[in-house]
Order: sequence, then structure tokens, then C-alpha cells
Amino acid sequence: MNTTATAAGLTAGAGSAPAAPPDLGPCPSPAAPNPRKLGPGPSRPWAPREHHHAAAPKSGSAASAARSPRGELSLRVALRDQRSVAVHQFHQGALRVLRPHYLDRSGQVCYVMVNPGGAYLGADLYVVDVEVEAGASLLLTTQSATKIYKTPGSFAEQRMAVRLGEHAQLELAPDQLIAYRDASYRQDTRITVHPTSSLVISEVITPGWSPDGASFTYEELRLRNEVRVESGGDEALLALDNVLVRPPLGDVSGLGLMEGFSHMGSLIVVDARVDQALADELHSATADYDAYTGLSLTRTVHGTTGLVLRSLSNTTEELNRLLAACTGLLRERWHGRAPLNLRKY
Amino acid sequence: MSASYQLALRQLTDSALPTGAFAHSLGFETYIERGLVVDEGSFAGWLSAFISQQLTYSDGLAIRFLYEGADVGELDEHLSAQLLPRQIREASTKMGARLLEIGAEVFPSDELGTYRALVTSGRADGHQPLAFAVVARSLGVPLEEALAAYLFAAVTSLTQNAVRAIPLGQNAGQRVLRQAHDGVAAAVEHVRHLGWDDFGAVSPGLEISQMRHERQRARMFMS
Repeated sequence: MNTTATAAGLTAGAGSAPAAPPDLGPCPSPAAPNPRKLGPGPSRPWAPREHHHAAAPKSGSAASAARSPRGELSLRVALRDQRSVAVHQFHQGALRVLRPHYLDRSGQVCYVMVNPGGAYLGADLYVVDVEVEAGASLLLTTQSATKIYKTPGSFAEQRMAVRLGEHAQLELAPDQLIAYRDASYRQDTRITVHPTSSLVISEVITPGWSPDGASFTYEELRLRNEVRVESGGDEALLALDNVLVRPPLGDVSGLGLMEGFSHMGSLIVVDARVDQALADELHSATADYDAYTGLSLTRTVHGTTGLVLRSLSNTTEELNRLLAACTGLLRERWHGRAPLNLRKY
Repeated sequence: MSASYQLALRQLTDSALPTGAFAHSLGFETYIERGLVVDEGSFAGWLSAFISQQLTYSDGLAIRFLYEGADVGELDEHLSAQLLPRQIREASTKMGARLLEIGAEVFPSDELGTYRALVTSGRADGHQPLAFAVVARSLGVPLEEALAAYLFAAVTSLTQNAVRAIPLGQNAGQRVLRQAHDGVAAAVEHVRHLGWDDFGAVSPGLEISQMRHERQRARMFMS
């Protein structure tokens, strides 16, 4: 991948819908004074936020009504003649995808997401909608690390909706997320799979360095992944992975929180072939890395099971190697594919 | 004793209530094995993190949402999905099953009957904080009192287990419990201010340790 590509040169592979004029003005309205008071309305205080598929990204929740997205991306991939291809693409504002490519002969299509602005700032909202239709396979990654800068009195947010059809596959492998000083960020990913779908998500979060050289000066990181399984009109919650790291409230490096480590990696796998033997195998595969790692099986819903791995370490590279060992094992075992080598520098 | 529910609440949160809490460390045994929880001070540190994290964001919020009228089936499904370490999920449903059974014998109500029916028909898993909340609410216990009682009962069980496992002296255990009063009070207050997006939020360290307990060789506890 050519990392010298610049914002101006990234229109290749742009969507079937033309991009809207760039909106470089300030985002409409920063978050409410207490940003945690999102979602629930007073009449139904416990109510979960409605799903936000890109078809209706601006309706449904109080949060989305408050600001319009700085970047939007919508991508639908389907199987055509043994190859996965995009059958719908749309982007607007500060999110695009590069021209698709095929890493091997398996038919899996690889898309690279690009944020030409280069960083997430206060009150920035990014909305991503991905659908992989029956039998298709998508590898979705990013061009470079996602950087969250200072977000005074507010937070940057990415909302992602993902839908996988029967026997559809998605590997979501973004570069690391770097949170700088006074950064506050939420990532809310809602995924609906079919019992025969295969999902692998790997992500790494790392602290940016502040001018005085100290790490861990970001305010708050929330990474929430919700996975539902839909079968015959019946939808059930399989896994709710809700990580919250908020350094100022205590000693983030301490007991129970980051345990003295600075970086965190996560792997989520949902596939009918996930079982205890696979969990044990992946656990063994992680033993040789300089990281503190745990993994466990989720509940089983409609015949499919999830596996969540969480790992703490002190470098992005170590976590990337650990996660690559796991995803490489799954790629080889389930799809006969070589380990990922995205050659990003 | 003014309120009619007082004795019932004491029975419900007594550490002798046979829910099997003596069998669960909810992750602190991993810290003992790593040599990080070794005495009164280090256990108090772990307990404080556990109260402000898992007991607040998962158990405490589940109780509040139920009191506010959330659907018990939906809350049950969320707990099953968000308790990612398998042993923690199983601990919650094992103790929940006992609490549902005891509750049906001694504090029966329509609400409890409804939740039990969901569990016996396989439509819910039956989690401890929800079983407790359903019974406490049916007895007319106000939310804040129910929350404080539940959290302190959990803290008491864990401390008793730590006294046996580390081991600590009985008086040290009592000092830890006294020290936990502030943490429990802060958690009750904190739960009021959280929202749906906070439900089930975890800190990575606690969770990894709970996951790793599955593979620990010598262990006294089921979680």
C-alpha cells in the first residue's frame, strides 16, 4: 500500500454516489454538558439506543440528532462470479475507501478506509455502514492509525453498523487507535450476524505521547461492540464488549485497570466453529508474547459462539504480532488463506 | 424497625444465605496466584477496584434499570452477553438460580414467578443481581437501600473468601469491610448517574484476570 497517498489523491474507488461538497466548517453542536447522558430518553430511561444503520443515520437517537457526521461511509459487498465485489458504495465528508484489491485467489475483497483529515477532533462524528451479503467475504482495514486529538468538553465518535448475511465473512482489522492528550473517544459498533457468518475483529489502542513525554493523558476511551445473531426473524444478543478506560479517575496503570501496561489489544471472533478447543489453542498461541492476555467463550446463540481475547502490553508491535498470530491461525484453518500481510509501513 | 421489609432484606443479604457465594472469588484468586493480592492492603485495593467497576457498571446498573421498569428478559440477555469471562457469567447464573429458588420459597411474588418462568423455559439465564432486584422490589425495598444492601452483601462474601484464601485474620477482614463502606456508598451514588451506554463497561485488567482464572492450575474457587 502506498502510504504517500495524500488527501487529494484519494478519490480512486470513490462511490457510486458523488461526494458532497466538503464541509470544513465547525461541527454543529458539541455534546451536551454531560456526554454520558446520551441515548436513553426520560420516558424509557433504560431503553437501548436504536440501531443506527446508515440508511437512517440521522434519526432515532438524541445523540445523532445533535450533530451531523463529519464523515460517512457506506459499503455493501456481494458475491459475483466467485469474487466479492462492492455493489453499493457511498461516501461523504472526511471518509473514503481506496480502490479495492484482492490479496489472494480466495475471492475475498480488501477495502482500505481513509480519513483524509488525518485525525478525529472534538465532537467529530464518523458513521460507517457495512453489509456483506450471503457468501461474500470482506477484509476491511485502514490506511494508517486513527489519531484522536484534544476534544475539549466533548468527544469524538465513530458509529459503525455491520450486517453479515448467510456464510458471509468479515475481517475488520483497523490500524491502532492513538489517543492523545485530553482526547475523549467513543466507538460504538453494532453488528448483526447470521448463525453461519464468520466475523473476526482485531483492534489495538495506544496512548499518544504528550509534550512532556508522559503517556496516559487521554481522558476517556470507550469501545463498545455489540454482536447480535439473527435467525429466522429472531434476533438475540450474543456479546456486548464494552471497554472503558478513563485515566483521571484513578491510577490507570494500576490493579484491575491497565495493570501497569500502556497498550490494549482485543480480538473478537464469532463463528459456528468457535469452541473450547479453539479457545485453548489460541490461548497457547498467545503464550509466547510479552503481554498479559485472557480469552473466554461467549454464550451460544442460534448455534453460533463468540470468543473474546483481551491483551495488555507496552508496545503496539507486540500486540499486533500477538493478534496476527491468532488471526493467521483462523485464516489458515477456516479459509485456507495465508496470514495477513498488509505491508503498511 | 419501621419498614416492614427490614427483616426480609436482612435475610436476603445475609452471608449465610445459601447461594454458593463461598465458591467464587470473581477474579481475585488470579491476583493471589500472581502474588499481587497478598495481604489486607492489597486485597482492599482489589476490592475497591471491583466495587467501582464490575459491581457498579454491571450488577448495580442492572438493579437500577430493573427498578426503573426495564424488561427483566432484556436485562437478563444483556448480562449474559456482557459478562464475557465464562466463569463470571456462570457464577452469576449459578447464584441467581439459587436466589430464584429461595425467593420462590420464602418471598413469592408475581414478578418473581414471571422471571422464574422465563428461566425455566430457557428464555432467560437467571442472573443474581436481577433475581435479587425482583425480590427486593416486590418487598417494597427502596432502590438505594436495595443497592447498598446488595453491594455490601457481595463485598462481605468476597472478603470472607479472602480471609480463607489469602489468608487474612478475622479482624483484618472486618477492617477491610469497614473500609469498603465508603466504596459502596460511592457506588450507590455513581449508579444513579450512569446511562444505558455504561451498562457492562469493564476495565481490561479485571476482565483478563477473570478470564485467566479458567486456566489456573491450583484453585480454591470456581471463578
